[in-house]
Amino acid sequence: MAEKVTYKDVETISKFRINVIIGLALLFISLPIIINYAVLFISSFSNKMLSGMTVHEIKFTLENWRMFFSGRLSTTQAVLRNFWDIIRYIFNTLVVGLGVSAVVTLTSMMSGYAFSRMKFKGRKFLMQFLILLHAFPGVALIIAVYTMYIAFKLSVPEHYLKMYSFTYVVFARAALEVPMSIWIMKGFFDRIPWEVEWSALVDGASRVYVWRRIILPLVKPGIATVAIFSFLAGWEDLIYVRTFLPITEKTLATYIEGLLSEGSLEIVHLPAVAAAGTFYLLPTILFFIFARSYMLQTSMSGVKM
Amino acid sequence: MVSITLDNVTKRFGKVIAVNEASFKVNDGEFWVLLGPSGSGKTTLLYLISGIYKPTSGRIYFDDVDVTDMPPSERNVGLVFQNYALYPHMTVYENIAFPLRIQKRPQNEIEKKVREIAKMLHIENLLDRYPAQLSGGQQQRVALARALVKEPSVLLLDEPLSNLDALLRLYIRAELKRLQKDLGITAIYVTHDQMEAMAIADRIVVISHGKVQQIGSPEEIYNFPRNVFVATFVGTPPSNVIRGELTSDGIISLKSGYLRVEPEASKSLRGSGLSEVLIAFRPEHIKLSREPIEAPGLILQGTVYAIEPLGRETLVTIVSGEDVIKCVLSNGESIKVGDELFVHVEREKIRLYHPETEELIAY
Repeated sequence: MAEKVTYKDVETISKFRINVIIGLALLFISLPIIINYAVLFISSFSNKMLSGMTVHEIKFTLENWRMFFSGRLSTTQAVLRNFWDIIRYIFNTLVVGLGVSAVVTLTSMMSGYAFSRMKFKGRKFLMQFLILLHAFPGVALIIAVYTMYIAFKLSVPEHYLKMYSFTYVVFARAALEVPMSIWIMKGFFDRIPWEVEWSALVDGASRVYVWRRIILPLVKPGIATVAIFSFLAGWEDLIYVRTFLPITEKTLATYIEGLLSEGSLEIVHLPAVAAAGTFYLLPTILFFIFARSYMLQTSMSGVKM
Repeated sequence: MVSITLDNVTKRFGKVIAVNEASFKVNDGEFWVLLGPSGSGKTTLLYLISGIYKPTSGRIYFDDVDVTDMPPSERNVGLVFQNYALYPHMTVYENIAFPLRIQKRPQNEIEKKVREIAKMLHIENLLDRYPAQLSGGQQQRVALARALVKEPSVLLLDEPLSNLDALLRLYIRAELKRLQKDLGITAIYVTHDQMEAMAIADRIVVISHGKVQQIGSPEEIYNFPRNVFVATFVGTPPSNVIRGELTSDGIISLKSGYLRVEPEASKSLRGSGLSEVLIAFRPEHIKLSREPIEAPGLILQGTVYAIEPLGRETLVTIVSGEDVIKCVLSNGESIKVGDELFVHVEREKIRLYHPETEELIAY
């Protein structure tokens, strides 16, 4: 005897239930990441790591943070640096991050527009070549990049060496991000209809004016995306800053790395490392929160597409 | 307020000829319509006049000034795009003010002009909104305001009504014509809707495949189409076109009828080496009768195939031999499908066309 099967329309499932299910699914997926961050963050404020075997003995303490800012990652380490050194390292990391972000954003904004709007010889080939470039991991290229660094270094006067190495790091790191960023920006420029530009041209605007006042505001999500990702690439970078910056100019990454190798992994105080890690993560999280609204903006009405 | 002259303008895109040797002169203050099917080159022609495209060959003049090499910003034209192309990140006020801001006019002058034009187009209460918050008709009026605010010498419109619903289209169509007359601005309007063209144009340019087919007033285009394309493109339903054989003097014979012409006309037709002609006539010029007719003009015999009552008139489809004829009658109540009827068209309403070149021969 066949049973009667009733099918329910999707719309009849209550919206509330759908939202709850989706929310739970998202929570489930992001749980590992959230747990990791939570462990890191809480550990930086406690005397024992949350992930360790002695987790029941934890007590709140600010000692880890004091250690981080005075330059020690193990309780037996001597105080080798002062507070202002740490500030300088933070500043260096910022310089690299913002530098890479600026170079990549500017380059990809202008190149993306050119690839999107202008006809020139070799355009198609260059676009395909960009994808190929993106496939190269920066680490694999380090020897060649370093050779160039040394070659140019010979012609740099003594007191400009620090500026040279910072500039070099920024441009070298930026070069790795530029291909993908150009593709992203080109995609955003492609979405703007020709007529909006033409309309402005007929109204009497020069091409540069149109680019500045009409096109750029419309690709703000793209610019935000590229700016954030390239900033993070610069901020998080370890290999390139380690290779090119003088030993006295550390960034947060090389600083943490240096401490871990100076002392030894066995005697390092992990909660202090957790404090260092949490601090290092901070701008990443802040940047995302700040730029999230820009990234989600996609208002393209007033034009039928 | 200028006159526009096109002198043998051609535009190629690679191998494709989008506009093929177009020449005409629009007088100051006239409302011209570029009419043609999709892909005929009418929008390309409009963009050539505006300066967005540069002609591959030929010259364009505004009054006596050669503007062929001038960029659009120097031509002082206002252009309304089919999809309005409003700047989405600016308010309606800023959209309209944009052309004036570029000209670096003083702030109070800008404000005055924007409010003036907004009032004229009945959008003064929308100035603080963003384009996304407007309906289609409102967006179109903002686009129009933006084009007019800088008081251009030429107004160019690219199918501005095609995105609006039918009723709104009729309303705004009349408003546009009135506005153009009030402002006295030379206007060129692109459309594929031949009824729209007939309704608003001072003169129509019919274009097909990049070539100008005919230029004339709506009456000329409708009553004296220069070739079969124009005859069948303009008019709803289009002209009926049937093929006839030139026989003895004065008679052109068809499968189920004949067309009697003047002997001199028939002689000159045969003299130019033709054995066949294309006969065109408009559906509304047909008279139907149940009795055989003896009168000058076209006589056909056929069977009613379909009847479509349209309220104000009735559309009757008649099959005569191998030809399908459409008639428009204002009083077709008594006709039924299957009726055997006689079709009569007066000689003055007949247009003859060359069977190959499809050009108008004699009437």
